[in-house]
Amino acid sequence: MPILEVHELRARYTSAGPEILKGISFDVEADDFFAIIGPSGAGKSTLIRCINKLVEPSGGSVRFAGTEVTALRGRGLRSLRRNIGMIFQEFNLIDRMSVMDNVLSGRLGYTGNVRTLFRAFPRADIEHALQLLHRVGLEDHVEKRADELSGGQRQRVGIARALMQDPKLLLLDEPTSSLDPKISREVMGLIKTMAQEFGVPCLCNIHDVALAMEFCNRIIGLQDGVKMFDGPTEEMDQAKLDEIYAMEVL
Amino acid sequence: MTDARSGAGTAVTSTADRFLAERRRRRGGSLAFAAILIAAVAWSVDVTIVEDTDWERMGSLAKVLEAAGEFVGVDWGLLPDLAEPALETFMIACLGTLLGVLVCIPVTWFGALNITPFKPVTYPLARLMMTLSRSIHEIVWALFFVAVVGLGAMAGIFALAMRSVGFIAKMSAEAIEDIDPGPVEAIRAVGGNGFQVLLYAILPQVLPQILGVIVFEWEINIRRSAVLGLVGAGGLGLMFFRQMNTFNFPGVTTVLIAIFGIILIGEVVSHFARKAVI
Repeated sequence: MPILEVHELRARYTSAGPEILKGISFDVEADDFFAIIGPSGAGKSTLIRCINKLVEPSGGSVRFAGTEVTALRGRGLRSLRRNIGMIFQEFNLIDRMSVMDNVLSGRLGYTGNVRTLFRAFPRADIEHALQLLHRVGLEDHVEKRADELSGGQRQRVGIARALMQDPKLLLLDEPTSSLDPKISREVMGLIKTMAQEFGVPCLCNIHDVALAMEFCNRIIGLQDGVKMFDGPTEEMDQAKLDEIYAMEVL
Repeated sequence: MTDARSGAGTAVTSTADRFLAERRRRRGGSLAFAAILIAAVAWSVDVTIVEDTDWERMGSLAKVLEAAGEFVGVDWGLLPDLAEPALETFMIACLGTLLGVLVCIPVTWFGALNITPFKPVTYPLARLMMTLSRSIHEIVWALFFVAVVGLGAMAGIFALAMRSVGFIAKMSAEAIEDIDPGPVEAIRAVGGNGFQVLLYAILPQVLPQILGVIVFEWEINIRRSAVLGLVGAGGLGLMFFRQMNTFNFPGVTTVLIAIFGIILIGEVVSHFARKAVI
């Protein structure tokens, strides 16, 4: 059974505004590294934010592990979100907090308000965070402030924070767009290795088609809120890419 | 051909006419405005200065200088008596700021558009409190609290707290409205609740700025608390008032020096404190 089933998903930001997603359907399987490609403004970021309801869909259905999520609110929504890790283009770290506190913030969905206030995370969480920091190669930067790190290091903190949630799905929103090509490849490689190790499927917005072809096993192509392509990476070719990115050339 | 040219010529002439007419109209308007302004100033000077001044009491220029001269000199004997009110002034400023900060917490929460709990009610309510706090002078607040809780330092503390809320809450709310939304999105995405978003994503971004505003307001509050005594709300102001009433003009100068002294201390502390938090 697919971990994520998206059916006829629609989204618009204001009731009078343009429709950003015009009925998108696809399924993510439990071992997928799933890429969403398409030109700027195609709706990639909106699509990925509809999965964990950072953006409210205006129609259609999203089922995560068999549960319909579009109607979730409050506590139910928060427990959905803690099962879905997210990695952001601009990293979205808490700049003035330490690397360790940033990674631990991945546990907030499991942590009560009093513990949050005193940053009193259980010992198991702290040990898990240290292991993850070691795995992403930041064992020497645990106590540094997040804004002292380089871009690639900051995204590694983002990866550790997302995995700290014990997610059943990872949403990656342009995880490499703020990084240079060499670091981008390293970060994608790290995400893929760790996702396989922890058995977490990934749904990844990505601008860089070459990276998508290299790391992903399945691709959908969006253009102006419409799905133009859906298939295994091997079936993608230059003609189809030209069609998806046609708008950008014009 | 000829027709077209004369047509163009007519167009130019009529545009120039309109342009000149507009100029004349504006010039007339400016002159009328200037005349009204001059009349208003003359009338104000007549009412407030010419008619309202006790010219006989003022006497000659020499007498004016002589009266000012009475303030020259320092009553050193008064100095030991100033230590306690100076300390009181200082404490009124500190406690007033602290109480103001506590009141600010809900006002800021309600008054920042992006976190206000129920926009149609809480946002206007907070904005109203901010405006009310700032539009009423600290002396008026002090008079109000002297009437409510009686003479003494407590009225001063309440007055400063109320007067501080507006500025601190407004600056803090605006800082919160200007935060980077990225960390907020990240904490929501991990399943954090509203309190956790506030504590992890918002506060770390705005805390240095808010602390800076609080220190600044504290420094201003030292100045304010020095005059609150004039209405019986304790501190150096009361001493000032007493010297004035007993015509001890060198004593007035002494109190002014003391006020200047604690304000100077406040400014120095404020300077380093703001450097430390930003």
